Amino acid sequence: MASVDIQDVRKSYGQLETIKGVSVDVPDGAFVVLVGPSGCGKSTLLRMIAGLEDISGGTISIGGRVINDVEPKHRDIAMVFQNYALYPHMTIAENMGFSLRLARRPKDEVDKRVREVAAILGLADYLDRYPRQLSGGQRQRVAMGRAIVRSPQVFLFDEPLSNLDAKLRVQMRAELKDIHARLKTTTIYVTHDQIEAMTMADRIVVMRDGIVEQVGAPLDLYDRPNNTFVASFIGSPAMNLLDGALCEDMRSVSVGNGMRLPFAGSVPASGRVTYGIRPEHLHLVQGTDGFEAVATSVEPTGSETFIQARIGEQAIAAQIRDRVAVRTGDVIHLRAMADKAHLFDAETGRRLG
Amino acid sequence: MTDAAMSRQASAKSGGRMKTHGKLIDLCIDVFLFGFSLLMILPLVFLVSNAFKTPQEMLSWPPRIIPSDPTLENFRSVLADTPLPRWIFNSIAFASLSMVAIVATSAIAGYVLAKFRFRSLNIIFILILATAIVPFEVYMIPLYFQAQMLGILNSIWGLLLGYLVMSFGIFLIRQNVMHSIPDELLEAARIDGAGELWIFWRIVLPLLRGALGALAVLAFFQAWTSFAWPMIVTTTRESYTIEVGLALFQTGFTVDLGRLSAASAAVLVPSITLFVILRRNFVQGVASTGLKE
Repeated sequence: MASVDIQDVRKSYGQLETIKGVSVDVPDGAFVVLVGPSGCGKSTLLRMIAGLEDISGGTISIGGRVINDVEPKHRDIAMVFQNYALYPHMTIAENMGFSLRLARRPKDEVDKRVREVAAILGLADYLDRYPRQLSGGQRQRVAMGRAIVRSPQVFLFDEPLSNLDAKLRVQMRAELKDIHARLKTTTIYVTHDQIEAMTMADRIVVMRDGIVEQVGAPLDLYDRPNNTFVASFIGSPAMNLLDGALCEDMRSVSVGNGMRLPFAGSVPASGRVTYGIRPEHLHLVQGTDGFEAVATSVEPTGSETFIQARIGEQAIAAQIRDRVAVRTGDVIHLRAMADKAHLFDAETGRRLG
Repeated sequence: MTDAAMSRQASAKSGGRMKTHGKLIDLCIDVFLFGFSLLMILPLVFLVSNAFKTPQEMLSWPPRIIPSDPTLENFRSVLADTPLPRWIFNSIAFASLSMVAIVATSAIAGYVLAKFRFRSLNIIFILILATAIVPFEVYMIPLYFQAQMLGILNSIWGLLLGYLVMSFGIFLIRQNVMHSIPDELLEAARIDGAGELWIFWRIVLPLLRGALGALAVLAFFQAWTSFAWPMIVTTTRESYTIEVGLALFQTGFTVDLGRLSAASAAVLVPSITLFVILRRNFVQGVASTGLKE
């Protein structure tokens, strides 16, 4: 195991800079998730750590050793790819023991290690099969097995669950967490799925356009997003972001049609702001309490009900933990939890309070 | 009978009619293809049949498939008067070595062109493609002078000079590598500690087995059936390939049909054997290239 230190790393393709000075510290044994929309540079950064892409600037260190110019095979890392990258002409045992055979370890040792890891992953009965004879989930396990067998200092995962169906993804998520808890190997995991990031990470790195927007523990990012991008990216359904103006009482925001949405705390600002409130922090209230909205769609899921509504020209979503008798077109009253509201600068999107 | 039962019966009837109609079409196609394959194979059957006929019977009308008085005289005469086994050996050696060379050069060049990113490689690839549109006859004579300067006329090496690299083979393997070997597979191997040669030998080549098999068959038959180059590069009877040797039976005024047929029938044996062994690769090769020389 080892820490990974990424300092001011840059990547350019000619004039085009895709990674613009990224610094991330991955502590020893941590599970860090790089998350962001497509094209944000998260996979490129992972490939630079793996040595599959050259580093245009900055330094990457593993266990205190700068590895900018070190060959991938000498970085003591293992990588799991989105499409598994299993060798189709080799059996599962051969796939898993590939790196050990290359390292010229004795055959007995390779077999023993492969069997050990196969037992951990529930692959013991499949060692003589070929990848094409396994299901997607089993193949994914083999890919993980191939990485685990080497006992590397760092695991790198590049969207490993993207090709699996929703149910299997949830199962594999739990298995991955379990394996990490057992092995405690430093892990860097790339995904565009914020649910994966939230459920698996010790620490999340949110990226956009080649820069790091925020680094923190999952719930810290959820509770105190640094800007509107992180606020809208982390959490599902996404946070409501409403344009408005700070009222004179400095305790509420006017969002049009005279509606006032409350917030707690003080902010050193005035004028136009973006008011953020998560759907689960809106409550449906009776009478004229709260603010008025027109329901545009109602989606009951059994345990809860999602209501899409409009306040003037702006859309808002509420997640009600109950079954409600609201129909599309109804005028409803919602109340925002003031202590859960977020305020962002309307122009820069930065957090105000 | 209820409406539902009647409609089920009606649909079963119409389904049955469609089934019969489909079977009839299949039968027609089968008959047509059978007739067509008979037409294709008939010259070959006559070739073998003629090999066993006397000169008189060969000229008789109507021609017979099964000779009335079969003779082995043609075979005896061919084997006694010409170095036929030597020609067959020359052809097999030439075609086999050419096949090995083309498969090796195509595999290496195709893989490098598909998976390594250097700007100069694109130019090289365009140059290789460009050579495919230059007819062999254009550079046949300069190549002959090269063979002469190297002192390899009348030898297998001379024959091989024009058949070591196949631009189409490089193209075929490049496309195959691009479509069937994902970058991640090679990257995973690099991370696992494999060197470039190891990756090529243990990962790329096994995955290209099908394409290389198809290319091998195409390359073998290209050399086996070549005529113009062996014709100019070999001038002694001992160094002829089978194609050139067979042409000897044909003079300006006559064709020695009996002996030509016997020699051709003898030559068919290795070709057909190879075809039977590599039939699947051959079909795959023709299917994947869409053409056959």
